[in-house]
Amino acid sequence: MFQPAATPYSPFSTYGVTPIATFPGFQPSGLDSGGPTLFRDPIFTSVASANTGAFSNNTTTTTAAASQFKMSSHDLEAQAALARDFQPALKGPLVAEKKSSLAITEEYAKADPVYVAKTAALPQKYSHYRPILGDGNCGWRAAGFSYFETLLRLQNRAQIEEEIARMTSLDNLIITVGGFEAWTFEDMVEETTKLLRALAELVPSSPQAAMDLLMQHFNNPEISNAIVYHLRLLASSLLQGSPENYQDFIPDNLGVEGYRKNWLEPVDQEIDHLGMTLLIDVLLKPIGFAVEIVYLDRSEGTQVNSHIMQSQDSNGLPTNPGGPMIHLLYRPSHYDILYKDLPSIPLQPLQAVSEVPRNQNIQVNRAANFTHQHSIQSTPMGDYSQLDLLLCIPGFGLSPQQSHHGFPSQYQSPIDQTYAPSPISSISPISPGTSSATTPSSAALQQSFPSQPPPPSTVTSPTLTSPHPSFPANTSLPIHSHLPPPHRPSLTTHTSLSSDLSSPSSAGSSFRPSKYEWRAAADWAQEGPVQFLTSTFKNSHYNTAHYNNPNFQPEEWSPEADEQQNPRKRLN
Amino acid sequence: MNYDMEDTQNSAPGSLTANQASKLVAPRKGPDAQSTTKRLQTELMQLMTSPAPGISAFPSADGNLLSWTATIEGPDDTPYAGLTFKLSFAFPPNYPYAAPTVLFKTPIYHPNVDFSGRICLDILKDKWTAAYNIQTVLLSLQSLLGEPNNASPLNGEAAELWDKDPEEFKKKVLGRHRDVDDE
Repeated sequence: MFQPAATPYSPFSTYGVTPIATFPGFQPSGLDSGGPTLFRDPIFTSVASANTGAFSNNTTTTTAAASQFKMSSHDLEAQAALARDFQPALKGPLVAEKKSSLAITEEYAKADPVYVAKTAALPQKYSHYRPILGDGNCGWRAAGFSYFETLLRLQNRAQIEEEIARMTSLDNLIITVGGFEAWTFEDMVEETTKLLRALAELVPSSPQAAMDLLMQHFNNPEISNAIVYHLRLLASSLLQGSPENYQDFIPDNLGVEGYRKNWLEPVDQEIDHLGMTLLIDVLLKPIGFAVEIVYLDRSEGTQVNSHIMQSQDSNGLPTNPGGPMIHLLYRPSHYDILYKDLPSIPLQPLQAVSEVPRNQNIQVNRAANFTHQHSIQSTPMGDYSQLDLLLCIPGFGLSPQQSHHGFPSQYQSPIDQTYAPSPISSISPISPGTSSATTPSSAALQQSFPSQPPPPSTVTSPTLTSPHPSFPANTSLPIHSHLPPPHRPSLTTHTSLSSDLSSPSSAGSSFRPSKYEWRAAADWAQEGPVQFLTSTFKNSHYNTAHYNNPNFQPEEWSPEADEQQNPRKRLN
Repeated sequence: MNYDMEDTQNSAPGSLTANQASKLVAPRKGPDAQSTTKRLQTELMQLMTSPAPGISAFPSADGNLLSWTATIEGPDDTPYAGLTFKLSFAFPPNYPYAAPTVLFKTPIYHPNVDFSGRICLDILKDKWTAAYNIQTVLLSLQSLLGEPNNASPLNGEAAELWDKDPEEFKKKVLGRHRDVDDE
């Protein structure tokens, strides 16, 4: 069984007030409250176990064992009967909040090696998932919820209104082809169209309220089941209407009628592959939504298999390439929703290190916040003692040095003007290993720079870094593709920095040292504020400048690495 | 863990309570969900405006819409021809997303009905669909009278006699049948 306490993230909750907590931008995703917070939440334990058939088997066996005691002659029969009647304890919401996909990895950590490998690779591709209650409707509900959620994501009110019209017109299919009487299902269609109408109203003004409403509706069993049943009727009617496309896939020689009555229409009957195909064909393909089904099963391989279903033309080419894509995670007998819209989290810090040259591109964007540097320059040297607090934050102290190295020649004169004569240049190269480990706080910084035009809290808060107009200018720097990987000397022998000014590229270093170098430096010193790096700046979800960079790649954050390098924090 | 809180955190507290209330109500009898009431009212209307021959149904006299009484006339050309059977319907609060509980109130000798009136019919169990309704259930039961499913009998003797000795079967049917008083 999965033990939530074993997650490497739980120690965060015991940190109390740490520098991390004072950095609003620390969250790796920057867009959501994903990441470590989710692991403190005990929810997913129960949901996960409720959703996993493997766990429920234990219960069955135990109960069956008890009855074997009484009726030993019929033990097999009794066990079979119990298994047949077994109702898994279904706990949790019908549609849960998004969680980090790492939860899936954790859940399978002790499972079959095939699962371990596949789930370990999963979060790299799909950052988040949304558990759906395994009540027999999960596949229908997952696809239905994704349909509404994708409409919300597109934020196109006109399209949602078109959907109201399309859903209403599909009543004809249900009546004339499906053979259902209108009065038996009109209440269900009404829930679908009512929700669409409410979402259309909310989407232009407050998408978040629309999302909340969607969650509310899908977690109200009355509404949720009505919508799900509407989808069943649509799929069933589609099969009745065009059996030639599907009848070869009908299992057990049931025939169209038998399949409808045994698989599609019974309440709480799990969706099978044909059912999912029908649902996608009737609900999602006509509006250009593609569906990727990710199969997490015991088939061979270290990666999950996936299959994309989308509307295709006669040549097999997607008719709406680049259209919205819904990701569903299939585990035998269960569907959840996957998301890959947020930066994924690498599991192995080593992998991240090997990607250093690529990651440098990101750092370009945040490097030169000239306004900051000016204010540093104007700082009286009497505050030097507090300046090294600043240097604990590499994004701050390092900037001049990076600028020298990374800027192409056309940028040199402003840089020289700004930095070259500055006494700061001699300060900034102090490596984090030698600087004080005192925790910097916004308050302390405020004291040291009372006159700084942007409040000093910009050092810690990413919110204020984006307004600087100088950002976009820096984002087009073409420098990095040819740069060799950074090497350590750039960290330790900083005196050479100023002499490198005239030949930025030849310095062999990057625009700014990679954060991994800083990590290395911190390793040497066995201590250091590595956890700051520049994640505050880079990961700010308020900072849109990095989108302008053609080389933009979301930063990858590895919580394990942070922990390993701050063993001291764990004790706090 | 209160999931309602998460789902409705941005809405007014009043709506949260309403939402919770409907969830709390669902598992027990009593004030039924609004959609169930509406659905049953529609069904009543349908049964009254377009009645099917040989079947009828009406809510119980106590005004509880979740409890109905129905009648089926035995189809011609079956051992049940000329007999009338009363049944009770108990609707779950999440009807039509769960099947009603249907019992024969009139004692009946039938392979798929036991001596308490319980019925073995797949559409009242795992093959229930939300598109079924009282009328379709009654029509199914009516055809069950003429075409019993002898593969899974509740009354083994009846299943055997149905095939072997129709005369004896008919005698048993008539012997068991007696009219029950209206409730």
